[in-house]
Amino acid sequence: MPVQEGIYGLLAEFDTPTELVIAAQASYQAGYRRMDCYTPYPVEEAAEAMGFDEPAEKGVSRVCLLGGILGGLAMFTLESWISIWAYPLNIAGRGKWSWPAFVVPAYEWTILWAGLSAGFGMLALNRLPAPYHPLFNAPNFRNGATSDKFFLCLEAHDPKFSIAETRALLESFNPVSVVEVEH
Amino acid sequence: MEEIHHSRTLPADLSAPAAVLQWRTRAAGVTAVFAILAVLDLLLSHSFDAILHGWLMGLILCLSLTLGGLALLMVQWVSGGKWGLLIRRPLEAMSRTLPIVFLMFLPIAIFIKRIYIWARITHPEQALHNGLIDAMQAHAIAYKRPYLNIEGFWIRGIIYFLIFGIFTYFLNKWSLQRDTDTAHNNWYWQKKFENLSGPGLVVYSLVLTGMCVDWVMSLDPTWFSSMFGFMFIVAQGYAGLAFVILVVLALSQYSPMDAVLRKTEQHDLGKLCFAFVMLNIYMAFSQYLIIWSGNLPNEIRWYMDRITGGWGPIAGLDFLFHWVLPFFLLLSRDIKRNKTKLARVCVIMLFARCWDTWWLIAPAFPSERANLHFTWGMLEYIFVPGAMIGLWLIYFFTTLRSRNVVAQNDPHLVELMESQHAHA
Repeated sequence: MPVQEGIYGLLAEFDTPTELVIAAQASYQAGYRRMDCYTPYPVEEAAEAMGFDEPAEKGVSRVCLLGGILGGLAMFTLESWISIWAYPLNIAGRGKWSWPAFVVPAYEWTILWAGLSAGFGMLALNRLPAPYHPLFNAPNFRNGATSDKFFLCLEAHDPKFSIAETRALLESFNPVSVVEVEH
Repeated sequence: MEEIHHSRTLPADLSAPAAVLQWRTRAAGVTAVFAILAVLDLLLSHSFDAILHGWLMGLILCLSLTLGGLALLMVQWVSGGKWGLLIRRPLEAMSRTLPIVFLMFLPIAIFIKRIYIWARITHPEQALHNGLIDAMQAHAIAYKRPYLNIEGFWIRGIIYFLIFGIFTYFLNKWSLQRDTDTAHNNWYWQKKFENLSGPGLVVYSLVLTGMCVDWVMSLDPTWFSSMFGFMFIVAQGYAGLAFVILVVLALSQYSPMDAVLRKTEQHDLGKLCFAFVMLNIYMAFSQYLIIWSGNLPNEIRWYMDRITGGWGPIAGLDFLFHWVLPFFLLLSRDIKRNKTKLARVCVIMLFARCWDTWWLIAPAFPSERANLHFTWGMLEYIFVPGAMIGLWLIYFFTTLRSRNVVAQNDPHLVELMESQHAHA
């Protein structure tokens, strides 16, 4: 990856999750899309405020569904292949392809692969693990994001981003501070 | 999302909206239409037995709404949660319809000899000799006589209703007393409800197992399955939950339910529905898989009666309505959070229960066993249960109207009044 230079985004710091959610929602309504909230514990409302409900944001659901379907199909096919070709067994005259018996393992694999896909898919879509993140260049973020501060970052690659206007918008939410973050 | 800054207040009037009376009038209309159709159909079919068969199906359906309500009521007391408070009053109203279900039970008990083969055949050896029944039936009827006899059926039936009546009585009485009490005593009430509901759920599962063995499984005295009781319990939860969600969604068009129902809890109820859809297919498929694996003549016949002779497509559609449709629809987050769409899924689920009950009951009778064919009498499986459910609904809307639809003095009520996006 080429070395990126310049400003990563503007980071606003808040004392309470309520202020953060209101700011995130207002920014979303003002047209910003490239943004993220950083909180010491999960704040579901922040995700909704940033447009989590929009269809474009449903990557994890899709990965999970795909994983489940593939897992179920894989096991069912494996069982069918074993029983018909690899090691044909005719149990109690039911025929080689006695599918009711295959349902339980196929179901288990559906669950297993849906779960694994959701977990790893979430990590991949979040671009995790991330050994480096520009936000840690901000000292207040380093100290506060994992303890008692709530952050909203409007990122510079958003088409609407402009240092002056974006700063003015963030200032209007009465944050503790607004700082520029370097790449 | 616009609700973020919107603070919510509980309306002063918590009684059921007047629309409930309108729904009751509509239910009365439905009852009248189906009752007339049932009588007209009797003139065409000349078969009183067909009415009784339809009546048994209607009884099972109304029972599943009543007892499904009672069971979920006890579950929400034991588990806690805001979703429980939301559906508590409709569930209580469902449980209080027990008397009308008892009245519906009486014709079954009175005409027992026309419905159950073990009641009709008093001397199995003689009936076997005359070719009325086969050897397996003769053996089963003679062997199970100590349990399957008319006196026992009556006595057990009355005991079942008494037991459920006791639980219904106290859960409903205390709930009303709690409404008028102060918040100070919340803990006392909570423990009191929990202590009744916990053992109540154990008793419920035992008694219901007895009920479905007596009323449904014994239609074919040769057959047995230890999974049957659990299948019925889950089916009642399935039907009861789908129905109560429909009621809450309908009530949320009006005050006071519109102030209490939030997207979050609606989503929770949708997820619970999804769990019941899975649990239901788990039970049904387990029973099928065990009997299919065993492949024993005395067990497999029950399924053969229900998948051969034209019943195969009915079983396939049962699977479609019961599992495929609700499962794939409820996977979606949007459908669970959309009132109209969730209501449609609930309607599919209730329809699936009707379809499944028909498939369970009808092939047990000799004329329909492994032989699906049109008769005028067959239509009674639509008309009689239709009229009975209509009647049940009239009674239900009356009980629903008789109390506030939102229970008070519950800590969850304060939480429900918080904005949708509770600010941690």
